[in-house]
Amino acid sequence: MPEGNTGKAALDAKFSELYRTHLRDVYSYAYYRVGNHHDAEDLTEQTFLQAYRHFERAQRESAGRPLRPWLIRIAHNLAANLYRDRSRRPQSSLDADSPLATAHSTEDLVRGRDDLARVLEGVTQLPDDRREALIMRFALGMNNREIARALGRTDGATKVLIHRAIRQLAAIVAEDGVEVEL
Amino acid sequence: MSRGGDVERLLRQALAPVDPPEALSARLRSTLQNISDMAAGELEGWERAAMRDPRNWVRPVIALIGGAAAGAGLLLIGRHQRRRTREVAGLIERRAREIFRSR
Repeated sequence: MPEGNTGKAALDAKFSELYRTHLRDVYSYAYYRVGNHHDAEDLTEQTFLQAYRHFERAQRESAGRPLRPWLIRIAHNLAANLYRDRSRRPQSSLDADSPLATAHSTEDLVRGRDDLARVLEGVTQLPDDRREALIMRFALGMNNREIARALGRTDGATKVLIHRAIRQLAAIVAEDGVEVEL
Repeated sequence: MSRGGDVERLLRQALAPVDPPEALSARLRSTLQNISDMAAGELEGWERAAMRDPRNWVRPVIALIGGAAAGAGLLLIGRHQRRRTREVAGLIERRAREIFRSR
């Protein structure tokens, strides 16, 4: 009996570490995926609850590899279910208190903010898989291999996906009047 | 047309990481702690309850009998080996005496 509880305590400690390390990643992903803080909080909470239920197995099967792609995959699946249930796509605009709205405040940056808002709007117009790959790459800083694991694709297919996503986004924002280079 | 720079730089700025609200962190920590406590309590209760059911005594009893049998087997093997060693030593000693006597 004590052995069972000791093992559980060690597992809980590892999960706490995972939670502390990746809460911001999961929340950032959820926020850019769903477009508002309310649903992002809900999605983040559900992601960690589900992760907790399957943590032991995930740890065993990961063979020492990082668990961030696994966490993001859970969030990705839950977000897909959320939209299936509500039969809608993510909201096209972000909350007024989005990082975009608060991060750049000086007048010198007004034009830059405008460009960033157009880029963000362009991201929401991309197909789901391309949008998700860009969120993982640029909001979470994940590399190709991690993104591939999170999306259940090969490294090569992921590289192509990101390349195409960036090209499509460049075309969208160029149409909108933002001068961009690839 | 405004200047925008390269798409990747703009993306990095537009998709800046978002800090979760403090209330969410606190709520999630508390929920996970509750689940963890409940799971620990459930595990203890389940193990205690399982040992109250005589059907669950079979395995420990089999393990005990198996362990005792294995221990007894090892003792017998050890005793047998010591006896064989003594017999072989005695045989060698007798044979050596016979050789010396015959010279």
